[in-house]
Amino acid sequence: MNYTFKWSVLWSGQSGTWLLQGLITTLELSAVAWVLAVALGIVSGALRTVPLPPLRWVATFYVEFFRNVPLLVWMFFWYFAVPPLLPRPAQDWLFNHGAEFWAGTVALGVYHGARMSEVIRSGIGAIPRTQFEASLAMGLTTFQAYRLVILPVALRLIVPPGTSESLNLLKNSSVALTISVAELTFQARQIETYTAKAIEAFSAVTLIYLVLCLSIATIMARVERAYAIPGLISRTRAVD
Amino acid sequence: MMRTLSLLLAVAGLLTATPARAQDTLDKIKQSGVLTIGTRTGSPPFAYVNRNNEWVGFTIDLVEQLVKPPVEKAVGKSIKIEKKESTPPTRIPLLTSNAVDLIAGTMTDTAERRQSVDFSLTYFYTGAQFLVKKGSPIHGINDIAGKRIASQQGSTNAKIIREKYPQAQLREFPDQPAAFQALLQGQVDAYTNDGIQLYGLKGKAPKPDDWDVVGDFYSEEPYGMAMRKGDAKFKAAVDAGLKQGLESGKYFEIYDKWFGPKSELPYPMTPQVKAYLMKQIGK
Repeated sequence: MNYTFKWSVLWSGQSGTWLLQGLITTLELSAVAWVLAVALGIVSGALRTVPLPPLRWVATFYVEFFRNVPLLVWMFFWYFAVPPLLPRPAQDWLFNHGAEFWAGTVALGVYHGARMSEVIRSGIGAIPRTQFEASLAMGLTTFQAYRLVILPVALRLIVPPGTSESLNLLKNSSVALTISVAELTFQARQIETYTAKAIEAFSAVTLIYLVLCLSIATIMARVERAYAIPGLISRTRAVD
Repeated sequence: MMRTLSLLLAVAGLLTATPARAQDTLDKIKQSGVLTIGTRTGSPPFAYVNRNNEWVGFTIDLVEQLVKPPVEKAVGKSIKIEKKESTPPTRIPLLTSNAVDLIAGTMTDTAERRQSVDFSLTYFYTGAQFLVKKGSPIHGINDIAGKRIASQQGSTNAKIIREKYPQAQLREFPDQPAAFQALLQGQVDAYTNDGIQLYGLKGKAPKPDDWDVVGDFYSEEPYGMAMRKGDAKFKAAVDAGLKQGLESGKYFEIYDKWFGPKSELPYPMTPQVKAYLMKQIGK
C-alpha cells in the first residue's frame, strides 16, 4: 500500500552493531565450514577415482548420502539428533559453548564437502589417464601420484566451479538461522522485528552478501590466473 | 508475428491494469471474493494443524464466525477465507506486501507495531511465562541468569529478555516447533512465550506431566488482529465483527469451545481479562 522508506533504521539504534555481529558470524561460520568442505571434498573426490573399489564405494556413499538430503534437514540433524548420542555432561558443556554454531558449521561443511567432492572428481577426470600411468611408471606410489601430480593439476582446473560452490556455501550459511545461529540474515530479521522495516533491513543484507560474493569471485579470478598452468588452462582464449 | 505482438500487448495491458497497490482491502476482497488471513500452523489452540490434519483454532473460528459476516456485508457478497502460514518474522512483510489481508494468529498489540500496522480490538489477553522440565531451578524471570532460554525470534518476550536480562543465554528460533524441540531435548533450559501458548505446548508434549509452566507474567500480551495501516473501512468491519461477538456472547461460546472445561486446554477466563475485553466495547 503506502510504504514509507526509512533507511535511517539501518544506522540508528543497535542495527549497525547487529549487522556487524551478523557479518562476523556469517564469515566465521562460512570460513570454518569451507575448510571442512574443501578437506572432505579433496579426500572424497580423490577417493572416487582411485583404483581401489572399496575406497570408491565409501566416497560414493558419502557424496550421495549427504548431497541428496536438503541442507535444512542436515541443520536439524546435527543440532537435534547428534548431541543426544553424547554423554549428558558433554551435551551440557556443548550447549553452553555454542552448540548451535558448531552444529551449523558441521552441517554446512559436510553438505558442501559432498558437493565439492563432485567438482574435484570432475577436475581429476579432466586430466588424461596417461599422467597417472606415467607417474606410476616413474616409480611413484598411488598416494604420491595423487599428492604430487594429479591433485595439484586438478585443483587448478576446478577454480571456476569451486568458486561457485564456495559462494553457494557462503549464501547457504543463512540456513543456520533455523537453529538459532545469529548470522547475517538472522540479524536482518532482528532489525525487522524491532523497526518493522523489512525492506530496508533485507536490502542492507542483500547488499552485504553481494559485496562479499563479488569480492570472493574477484579474488578467486586472480588466484586462477596466478596459478594457471600455461597450455592447460586458457581462460581468456576460451571465447575466441 | 502480429498475433504474438498483440498478445504481448494484451498481457502487458493486463499487468499494468491490475491496480495491486492503489486499492483498499475491502475493494481487493470484493474483486477476489477471498479474505486471506495470515495465521499459524503450530500454535494450539489459537491456530494449528490438528490430528486430523485440519487447520483450525480459536483465532480461525473468530475470523470465520465473527469477522467474516460484517466483511461480507461490507463487500455485498459472500467470501471465502484463505489461510496462509505467517510467523513472527514474516507476518508484517506479508501484510505490507498485500500477500495477506489480516494477521489472525497470536500477535501482540504493541505501541511499536502500531507504527506499521493497525490492530483490531483485543481478542485475547495473556503474558509471558516459562515452560520448564518439572523440578527445574527456574521458577520465574529472576532465575534465568546464565541459563539457556529459547524464544521465538521476533516475539515481544525475546526482546524483553535481550534488553532487560542480558545475563541469560538467549537462543532465538524462527518457529515454535524448533524451540520446543530444543527444550524437549535439553538444548535449552526453558522456553519462554505467552503463558497460554506454553500450556498448549505442554498439552502436546509426549508426557505432559513432565513439564511445568512457571513464573508470573513478565509482560502483558494483548492479542489483536493486524491490518495494513490507515485502512479505516476494513478495520471498522473487523472491529464490528469482534464487538458484535462480545455483545451477543458468541465470542464467549467460541472461547468456551477452545478454552472451556471440556476443551483440550482448559484455561478459564479470569474476571480481570473479561473486564478488559468488555471495557473495549464500553461495558
